[in-house]
This record gives sequence, C-alpha cells and structure tokens, in this order.
Amino acid sequence: MSFERHDEDVHANVAAYVLGALPEEEHAAFVEHLASCVACREEVCSLGVVAAALPALAPPQPAPGELKRRVMDTVDREAREQEAARTGRQRPVPARRAGDGLGWRPAFAGLAVAAVIAVFAVVLFTSGGGGGTKVFRAQVSAPRAFASVTVSGGHAQLTVAGMPQSPPNHVYELWIKRAGEPEPTDALFTVSRTGAATVGVPGSVQGVKELLVTAEPLGGSPHPTRTPIIIAPLG
Amino acid sequence: MLNPLRSSGGGGSAAPLRVLADEELMQLVYRGNAAAFEVIYDRHADAAFSLAYRMCRQRSLAEDVVQEAFLSLWRSGARYDRSRGSVRTWALGIVHNRAIDALRRRAVRDRGVVTEEGIEERVPAREHTELEFARRDEAREIRDALERLPEEQSKVIELAYFGGLTHVEIASMLDTPVGTIKGRMRLGLAKMRTALGDTAEVTP
Repeated sequence: MSFERHDEDVHANVAAYVLGALPEEEHAAFVEHLASCVACREEVCSLGVVAAALPALAPPQPAPGELKRRVMDTVDREAREQEAARTGRQRPVPARRAGDGLGWRPAFAGLAVAAVIAVFAVVLFTSGGGGGTKVFRAQVSAPRAFASVTVSGGHAQLTVAGMPQSPPNHVYELWIKRAGEPEPTDALFTVSRTGAATVGVPGSVQGVKELLVTAEPLGGSPHPTRTPIIIAPLG
Repeated sequence: MLNPLRSSGGGGSAAPLRVLADEELMQLVYRGNAAAFEVIYDRHADAAFSLAYRMCRQRSLAEDVVQEAFLSLWRSGARYDRSRGSVRTWALGIVHNRAIDALRRRAVRDRGVVTEEGIEERVPAREHTELEFARRDEAREIRDALERLPEEQSKVIELAYFGGLTHVEIASMLDTPVGTIKGRMRLGLAKMRTALGDTAEVTP
C-alpha cells in the first residue's frame, strides 16, 4: 500500500468512521490510512464535531445511584492500590523471566533478536520541506498490529491499529529514549475495541532516538517492567 | 521529565474539587485521585447513561456500558488530550464505543437477523424525541439540523450512530449499495456541520 497515493475508496469512509460504523477490518485500515492522509484527518475533525453533538439527542435518563456505587467501589479500591504501590507497601514486581536478572534490559535484547520483528525503521513519507511531517513505521511484536509515529514541528503522535487489549489491570505506557535508559511519560493508554489508539507524545521529541510502548500496571511504572510491544526508531 | 503519575494521588473529599474545570480534574485523575474522578463522574454520568440507554434500550445493558466506560476513563486518564475536545466529548465517545461493542456482541449472541422493524424499536420516533427535548436548546439545535436532512440521510446517520450498525449492515437492511450509504452519511454529516456552524464544539 502506498502511503502517498490518495485512495478515494478509503477516503469515502470518513463519515462511517466518525459514526463508529466501520466494520473492524475497515476500521483498522482507515486508522492506518489516517496516519498519512492530511485531508482525511481534517475531514474527521470537521465531521467529528457533528458526531460529538449527537449524544444530545438521547432522551435524558438519570444514571442509577447504584451504578455510581459500583463504579466508585472499584475506583476507590484501585486508587488505594496505586497509592500503596507508590509508597512502597505493594511495590509493583517487575515481570522478569527466569535468568533475566536485570529487569527490562535483557527483555529488550531478546526482542532485538526475535525473528518475528523486522528491526528497521521506515520513513513512510516526508512532506513540506525541512520543517515538514515525517511518518515512521514502528516495529510491533503483535501479529497483524500496526503502529506509526507522525513527527511534525518537533512533536510526535503515535497511531496504532490492530493492537491486543492491554492485560487485565494494565495499561500501555509510552516511553521516550534518548541516550541511556527509557524515560517514562504521562501517556498511558488503552486501545479501542479494534485495537486502535492515537496518542500524543508529551513534550518535544528533539533528540529522541526511539519511542517504546510497554504494558504496565495501572498508574504506570517508573521503569519498564515488560518487553516493549512497540519500538519506533525516529530516524 | 516530570511525571505526575508518580506524584502523590490519594482520595479525599470531592467537595473542594467541584470548583475545578474538567480539564484540571483530569490532571488529578492521572495521579490516581479518586475524588477528582468522582466529580467527573457526577458531571457526566447522566449524559453517559442517557446515550447508553438510547443505544441499548435496556437498562441493565446500559448500566454495564456506562460502568465499563467510566472505569476505562479512570484507568486511562492520561490518554485524554484536551486539544482534541472536551472531557465530556471524550467520555461520551468512550460510552458510544462501548455501547457499539455491546450491541454487536448481543447481535452475535442472539444470532438475530437485523430488521428495519427492530431498529425502529431501538430508535424512537421523532415525535417522542421532540417532546422530550423541548426544553433543551442544544438538543433542539442538533435535532433541527438532523431533521432538515433528507430522510434517507438522517436515517443512515441514526442507524449508524444510535443503532450501532455498520455501513454494510445498513446497506443490507435498506437494500442499497454500500457506496450509496457511505455517500449519504458523508453528505448528511457535512450538511449538519454547516448547520451547526460555530456553535458546536470545534475539535482542532
């Protein structure tokens, strides 16, 4: 698939996309298409305004009090667990494999030699001259998953499709890597039913060599505890 | 890089937090502040339940949808990007996606053939919505924009958004080519966008 060719069939899916009416496979393909199509992204923003207004058509129905109690019971419990983890009473245990010994580093090394992953970055397209937009295709260690990073004006956005759901009580955490160890970011995310997500990379990516994504316990981790599921070299 | 997730979160009373804007509250939710989340819940749960019930037409299913959606919001608060719209829009988007999942799971489980009659049951007639929304300017505006569309366009938008149907299912139900359905959706939404003008929330 060419990321420079404007595919009219895919483009015609904009309205169905914002209404949530694309079948799963088409949804994933459209998310991939969005990474490279400025016109579609602009139309999604424009028509998305209408979709965002449609809930006002729903007849008012007060949410049951019992529902709030159920939600807040879970939230309060998880908040306590997160707080306990932060203060060290229940420090999250890194998910080390037997013999790893050093936490995430051997896991990264294992990933590097994994035959299932092509270890190269592909600049999908560049536009707009020196200060333009670059899209990098990332390596994803999940079958049929796709991830790309769009860099523009020193800022980046990660787009994923076809990703597996994060494990129970885990979220995906985005890391940036300059020199040395990965640095945590505030970007914790889950993916939609089709495995899609769009995540803004906090701050500037100037000097950043790679973006990484790992599954981490709720609330995130200060250091990666699992093998990255996404590695996106930026350059 | 500073990471507020590593800052102290904690719970505490929600009362002092009620003066804060949603976006400020989300900064606290990132840090695991349950009281801040409770304020977000209180502000948007009714709209969320209304949307879920409109789509699911069944209280127990709607409750499950809203519970899943708000727990997802709590667990992935850092995914919220204020440059892409309000917290309310984001939260209702999660509810919409969860409701679609629930409707499609139910359709598979029931192995039912989707009929136009069945959908009409899930999407109330306009006389009902007109009566129920008479006091709501926002609803009236979006409803007016929808009603100004040719019926063939408004119908596909309602079936897609509230019925949780894919364009393929709608095409099959209406015995119309998929390309035509896509075109009606796109033309209808574009007209509504023009009708809503500057009053709608603009997502850059």
